[in-house]
Amino acid sequence: MGAPLPAESEREPAAGRTLPDYLPARMVNEYVYCPRLFFYEWVEGIFVESADTIEGKQQHRRVDREGAPMAAPGEAEGEWKTRSVTLSSERHRLIARIDLIEGEGRRVTPVDYKHGRPRETAAGLEAWPSDRTQLAVQALILRENGYECDEGIVFYQETRQRVRVAMTPELVEETLKAAREAWETARRGVMPPPLAGSPKCPGCSLHPVCLPDETNWLRGVGRDGDERQLSLFGEPVPRKPAMSEGGVRRLVSARTELRPAYLDTQGLRVGRSGDVLVVKDEDKVVQELRIHDLCQLNLMGNIQVTTQAVQALCEEGVPVCYFSRGGWFYGVTTGLVTKNVFLRQMQFRLAAEPWFCLRLGRQLVAGKIRNQRTMILRNHVEPDARLLAEMKRMAEVAVRAKSLEELLGLEGNAARLYFEAFGGLIKTGEGTDVPKVFRLDFHGRNRRPPRDAVNALLSLGYSLLAKDLTVTCYAVGFDPMMGFYHQPRFGRPALALDLMEPFRPLVVDSAVIQAINTRMITEKDFVQAGPAVVLKPEGRKAFYRAYEQRMDTLVTHPLFEYRVSYRRLLEIQARLLARYMEGEIGEYPVFVTR
Amino acid sequence: MRNSYLVCYDISDDKRLRRVFQIMRGWGDHLQLSVFECQLTRAELAELKGELGEVIHHEQDQVLFVDLGPAEGRGDRVITAIGRPYTSFDAPCYVV
Ligand code: SF4
Repeated sequence: MGAPLPAESEREPAAGRTLPDYLPARMVNEYVYCPRLFFYEWVEGIFVESADTIEGKQQHRRVDREGAPMAAPGEAEGEWKTRSVTLSSERHRLIARIDLIEGEGRRVTPVDYKHGRPRETAAGLEAWPSDRTQLAVQALILRENGYECDEGIVFYQETRQRVRVAMTPELVEETLKAAREAWETARRGVMPPPLAGSPKCPGCSLHPVCLPDETNWLRGVGRDGDERQLSLFGEPVPRKPAMSEGGVRRLVSARTELRPAYLDTQGLRVGRSGDVLVVKDEDKVVQELRIHDLCQLNLMGNIQVTTQAVQALCEEGVPVCYFSRGGWFYGVTTGLVTKNVFLRQMQFRLAAEPWFCLRLGRQLVAGKIRNQRTMILRNHVEPDARLLAEMKRMAEVAVRAKSLEELLGLEGNAARLYFEAFGGLIKTGEGTDVPKVFRLDFHGRNRRPPRDAVNALLSLGYSLLAKDLTVTCYAVGFDPMMGFYHQPRFGRPALALDLMEPFRPLVVDSAVIQAINTRMITEKDFVQAGPAVVLKPEGRKAFYRAYEQRMDTLVTHPLFEYRVSYRRLLEIQARLLARYMEGEIGEYPVFVTR
Repeated sequence: MRNSYLVCYDISDDKRLRRVFQIMRGWGDHLQLSVFECQLTRAELAELKGELGEVIHHEQDQVLFVDLGPAEGRGDRVITAIGRPYTSFDAPCYVV
C-alpha cells in the first residue's frame, strides 16, 4: 500500500519551469474568467478553437488591418487615434496589445473589441468583470508609458455598443491582485480546480479537455477515503445519492463528429488537393476524403501518401496510423499538437512508483474481468453459473492484489475461463450449425499466427484498439510508451495497452461476435495458409466497419449517467486518468458496464 | 453537434467561382452546380464563412446558407429528389 497522492497544496512546483517575461493582458482576463482556463492556455499551452474564438479572430483581423505608429506622450496635438499597438509594463511585467487608442494630447482611452454582448444589469449595461480587468491592465501599461488614462471602452461587436469602464482605485487594485495571483498560479504549476456547476463551462471551448463536472463530482467522492472508493467501483456498483439528483451535466457531445478512414487496397496512392485527400488506384480516383471530416487515417499495408497530404493532416491534427498488411500496428504520425509537458513529467514520475502501478493495475484488471463476465452473462446461450461466480470472485481478489505478478496471474486465469466459454457466444442463425471455421476446437486465445477465424478477428481487433488508444494518449498529452500495469518494452505502447484492458471485451470481443453473428463476416472471408487462418481483404474491410460500428455505439457511463459513444468514452477515460495522476481525483474510475 | 446546411452560391467572376468551389469541396458534398450539402459544427460554420468572406466580392457575389437542422437522425426526409437519386452518407467510417 502506498501513500496517497500528495494534496495539491503540498505539491512542489514542477522543476525546470521557466516563465515568460510578461503576462499578457488577455491572460489576466482569462484568469479572472476562470483560473483553470488561464492555466490550460498560458501554462500548458492548450487552446481549443470554438465558434466564438474563430469569429473573434476574424473580426480582429479586420480591426488590425489599419495600423499606424503611435504618438509619443505629449507629441500629438488635438485628437488622435491609433490601432493595434503593443506596449508593456516593466514594473508589473504585463504586456498588452491594444485594439484602438483614442487620444487627446497626453490623455488616452484604450478601446477593446469584444466579440459578444455587454452584461445587462439593473443599473444598465456594463462590461463583464474579466473585460474590465483586461482594460485596467491596458490602462496601467499606458500610464507607465507616460500617458494619462482614467477610463477605457469595451466595444461589443454583437450589439455594436460602447461601454465605458472607469479606472477606479478599486479596479486597479483588483487587477493588480489578479495579475499577482495569475503569476503565482503559473509559478506553482498546479492546475486550479474546475468551477463548480458554472454557467460559464458550457460556453467554454475547453470543456472537453477540462471535464469540469466530472472532475468535481469525482473529487467529492474521492475525499471519503480509500475504503469507500474501492467499494464504489466494486461490484455491484452502488447507486450513490448524488446520482439521483440528476447525475452530471453532459457538456461534451455524445459522439465525435469526425470519422476514421481505413485504406486497405494494396497500391493505393493518396494525394492532396486543397482540403481534400484524393485516393487513387492506378490513375483512377476511387475516393475523395475531406480532411475536415476525418479523425484519423489508417493505412493498412502498402499505401503511398504524399508529403503534402501528411503535412495537411498534421496541421489539422489528424493522425496517420500505419499497419502491416496483416494488421500489425507499426506506429503513428501526429502533428505537434500537444504541449502538455507537465502531464508527461508526472507520468514518468509515477511510473517509477510501484504503489501507483499496483493501484492502477488493480482497477484495470478488475474492470476487465468484470466486463468479460458481463459479456458472457449477456451473450452466452447458457451461461455457466459457476463460471460467473468464479469470475466475480476473481475481480474481487484483483482489487486487493498484493503485487503486479499476482495481478498478471489473475488476469491470465480469468482470460482462460472466459475464452473457454467464448465459443458459446457465437450463434449464426437458428437451426444452422456454426460453420467449422468459427468453431473453437481449442481452449483460449492463440496468436502469431492465429490458427482459427475467431482468433484472427480478435487479433486484428486488438490491434485496432491499441491504435485508437495510442492516438488518444497523444491527444491527451500522455506518452503512450510509458505504462503502469504493462511495463515498458520495445515497440509496445504500454500505456495504450493499460487503458485498453477494460475495453477489450466491450469493444473488440463484442465487435467480433457481432460481425460473425450478423453474418457481416462469413466463412468465405478466410483462407487457410499453412497453420494460419488469414482474413481475406473483403473480410478485413467488413471487420473495420463492424469495429467502427461498435465504437459508434452509445453506452451509459456508470458514474456520470450520461450516454456517450465508445469512441468518446476512450478519451474521457484517458482524461480521467490524467486527472488522477495530477492528484485531482482520488482513484481512477475504471469503466465497467452494468 | 453538427448541423446540416445547404450552401448555394452565385459568384459573378470565374476566378472567384473556382476558388469558392475549391473551398466548398473541403467542407461538404457537391450536390449540384453551385450547391453543396455540409454538416458543420458552429465553429466549422464560422471558419467556412471566414474563408469564403476572404474570397468573395461583397457587392457582387452571394452565398446562401440554408439551415436544415441537426445532422444526427435527420435521415433523408429533408432533401428529396426527382431524377437522379439523392443519398446521404451514413456510415461510422470510410473504408477504401
Ligand atoms: S470548462 Fe469551466 S472550469 Fe473548465 S476551464 Fe472552462 S470555464 Fe473553467
